[in-house]
Amino acid sequence: MTSEELGTGGAPEWNPEWASWAAAAREEFPRAQSALMPFLHRVQTDEGWLRPEALDAAAHYLELPRQYVESVVSFYSLFRTEVTGHRTIHVCMSLSCALAGSDALLHNLEEALGVRVGQTTPDGAYTLLEAECLAACDLAPACQVNLRYVGPVPPERFQTLLEEEVSTREDA
Amino acid sequence: MVVDAAATVGIDIPVYCYHQALGPLGACRICLVEIEKMPKLMTACTTAATDGMVVHTQSQAAEKGRRGILEFLLINHPLDCPICDKGGECFLQDYVFQYGAGQARFEEAKIQRHKEYPVSPYILVDQERCVLCQRCVRFMGEYVGEEELLMDGRGVHTVITNVPGIPLTSPFSGNVIDLCPVGALLSEPYHYRARPWNIEREDTYCSQCPVGCSSSVTGRDGQVVRLEGRPTPGQWGWLCDHGRFTYDFGAHPTRLTEARLDGEPVTVGRAAQVLGQRLAAVVREHGPDAVAVLTGGSHTVEDHYALRRFADEVLGGSRAGLVKPVEADLPLALLGTFAELDQSDTVLLLGTDPYESAPVVHLALRENVRRRGLVVKALGDRHLLRDTLAGEEWVVEPGGMAAALAAATAGVSEHPDARLAAEGLAPADESLVRLGQALMEPGALTVLWDGREQDLAPALVALARARGEHPTRVLPTFGPRNWLAAARVGIPTDYETSRRILMDAADGRIQVLLLWGADPVRDFPDGDLAARALERCPEVYFGGVFPPDGAELLAGVLPTAAWAEEAGTYVNMEGRLQTGRGAASAPGQARPTRNILQAVARAYGTPLRKLDEWDPYEGTVDDRLVLPPLEGSVRPVSPPPAAESGFRLISGLEVALTHDPSEVAARTKEDRPARMHPADLADLGLLTGSGPVELSSGDRSFRVGVRGDPRIPRGRVFVPRGLRGVPINRLGGIAVAVRAVEEVASR
Ligand code: SF4
Ligand code: SF4
Ligand code: FES
Ligand code: FES
Repeated sequence: MTSEELGTGGAPEWNPEWASWAAAAREEFPRAQSALMPFLHRVQTDEGWLRPEALDAAAHYLELPRQYVESVVSFYSLFRTEVTGHRTIHVCMSLSCALAGSDALLHNLEEALGVRVGQTTPDGAYTLLEAECLAACDLAPACQVNLRYVGPVPPERFQTLLEEEVSTREDA
Repeated sequence: MVVDAAATVGIDIPVYCYHQALGPLGACRICLVEIEKMPKLMTACTTAATDGMVVHTQSQAAEKGRRGILEFLLINHPLDCPICDKGGECFLQDYVFQYGAGQARFEEAKIQRHKEYPVSPYILVDQERCVLCQRCVRFMGEYVGEEELLMDGRGVHTVITNVPGIPLTSPFSGNVIDLCPVGALLSEPYHYRARPWNIEREDTYCSQCPVGCSSSVTGRDGQVVRLEGRPTPGQWGWLCDHGRFTYDFGAHPTRLTEARLDGEPVTVGRAAQVLGQRLAAVVREHGPDAVAVLTGGSHTVEDHYALRRFADEVLGGSRAGLVKPVEADLPLALLGTFAELDQSDTVLLLGTDPYESAPVVHLALRENVRRRGLVVKALGDRHLLRDTLAGEEWVVEPGGMAAALAAATAGVSEHPDARLAAEGLAPADESLVRLGQALMEPGALTVLWDGREQDLAPALVALARARGEHPTRVLPTFGPRNWLAAARVGIPTDYETSRRILMDAADGRIQVLLLWGADPVRDFPDGDLAARALERCPEVYFGGVFPPDGAELLAGVLPTAAWAEEAGTYVNMEGRLQTGRGAASAPGQARPTRNILQAVARAYGTPLRKLDEWDPYEGTVDDRLVLPPLEGSVRPVSPPPAAESGFRLISGLEVALTHDPSEVAARTKEDRPARMHPADLADLGLLTGSGPVELSSGDRSFRVGVRGDPRIPRGRVFVPRGLRGVPINRLGGIAVAVRAVEEVASR
């Protein structure tokens, strides 16, 4: 699709700020391929996940093939392409944490939230995800809430994760 | 590369990711070889062969490496070869059979993925069978330049897919089916249709445009079920989707399968007999000039030979001519080859966008640009370059290409013919002088031309003479597919001959007109003349595969065999003879042209002798037509038509629209064949960017679907030629009125 067809103002569901964010990324990294990641991170920090429109916009503003954007987003597991809750909880499932009971912790969280790992609560409050070794084995079982480290979290103390103070995206 | 060096001495090194057209990548590692003095196994596809290098392709270490790679590839492979379309045609099967282990050691559960995921109406991906060689992604992204496939995910989770909701639309997408070394990319129309051991797979050449791409046709139970690209020396074996997926045209519901006389079905024998007797009576009474033959240039060389001899020997010298959709004649002396294109320093696109008119030539141009910096210039009545083919272009007024070319040549050259051609024209302005300079550059020039504007013929001859010993070649991108077969057997291919025949038919001087595959009302540039000829000529007979426009006016119809239903020779746009073999049988009563003409000749009382002893290749050089010398004088080119207000009509040829009727290819057929600038569409009130319009000129008008295309200059309407139901050849003139009309709800 050419830029003419899309119109430079963008479709209504495009955030008007995206154009300037893309320009900023472009300024820092003149190669479009390099500017892509910072732009996507900024959108994800803002909205919690990457809507298809955000990928369309990335392709449009950075003049990259839409296919390239798709490939990059799917390559990195920290880019989310599904709706994400207000708080994202990562539970480490690697060896040290598993020995310290992260399995049970995850199970308790699933019970408490009423969702399975990978899902978001219907009210949009929480998203529950697994993580590979967070390089914090001394805190096993280690977790993250909105990427901030919390630990150790023994399985029965799962509640602390749900109440963890988070810097909301609005303050960011 | 070591792989290529080995191939030259007949040693086969297995490869998946490597393809000479795509260049080395080193992604799959199946090509591991042992090279002396190198510590580890090396990939033969990324290692340049050097003097004195000693390579072992069959050593224990090399075989162990390959076996290991194959074991990895099979870890998540579903091993469903028994139900795979490529079973028996698969390099994973072949290599595992040759080098692999008999037993897998991986016992864990396999990762499951999409198995019949459609990435386009024609292509399915079985992601479980993919070996991630990236051939398909690189072909689309780098070679074609239309990035439509992608690798999604990482590591063991990587799959080949498209962007959700954006299917592949490139006309070259079907090539990934051929390129995929395993059963991951599948042809949807061929899915579960046949197995390699119950098909006939024969060498042929595509029948849908004059490029004549080498291909293999697959027949099963007498029906064509597939067309694949077939690499030959110097050609990669690419096809475009218009050719690839039109293979089923012989079985199309509109295909002629029975003979008719005055609209009533009869046997072919009966129709041939009546035709023979009628012809005999007419020639006896009025002489051979009362009969004329027009070929549509789609039948084989052998058929054209029979037609020619029929006109000469049976009818005693009746006229024959060719119906083509363009008004100009190519000076055959200038006919070029693809090999010359690959050597050219400059290419000029003259009125033609090869992406539309000769698709695989577009790929050849792009490869030449990428590989060796071929210079591309374009002169047209619309924008002919595209994102995937860059260059410099000159867009002139409709009808003004010949004048521009002649003026540009004369602006730079003192050659008397260049001056003569430009006599009476305004001298070249600065921009045209630049064009002239580009075209007069030393080295070889190849012109791609779609045969519009009669005056381009003298302008091209003048250019060629002005360039002197620097070669100037022309590749004609106009159809019909096999028009040069007429040239091969001596049937005149010029516009004037067929115009005279149609004039005489319209004036009642011809009693019987024999159309062989010709559809003059649809194709002939003067459609009114053609329609008058069909109306006024007392008896018009038609032999061919699909009924022509005005079929109700025919006295008789004879169904002929089509491509792939018998062996036959074609001549492509380089004048090269290509003999394809049959893989299917002609349906119903359809018979080879030669048999029908022989039956007519017998009924006439003058059977043709030794028809089958003729060798189409006799007298050719390197399988190519022998070209006449460039002679004759150049005439002055007429000045461009004065600019008029209102919209102006421009045209061209598009294989995507004019290929034979096909149920398979109908999946992506565009139903808005006309194009206009999006801003003009918006001015007409077509804010969605497409819709039906009425084109009118004088008292003539017709309706056609139009879509937006920024490559059409403002104030112009592009309408392709030769399209059923789109009678652009009957509007006359280039000034048209355009009006948006209400969409009529159909069905
Ligand atoms: S789909 Fe085929 S061509 Fe594409 S990467 Fe997989 S194996 Fe290679
Ligand atoms: S370019 Fe022409 S000959 Fe080649 S595949 Fe396409 S239609 Fe057939
Ligand atoms: S195993 Fe959990 S942080 Fe290392
Ligand atoms: S063919 Fe050599 S690495 Fe793939």
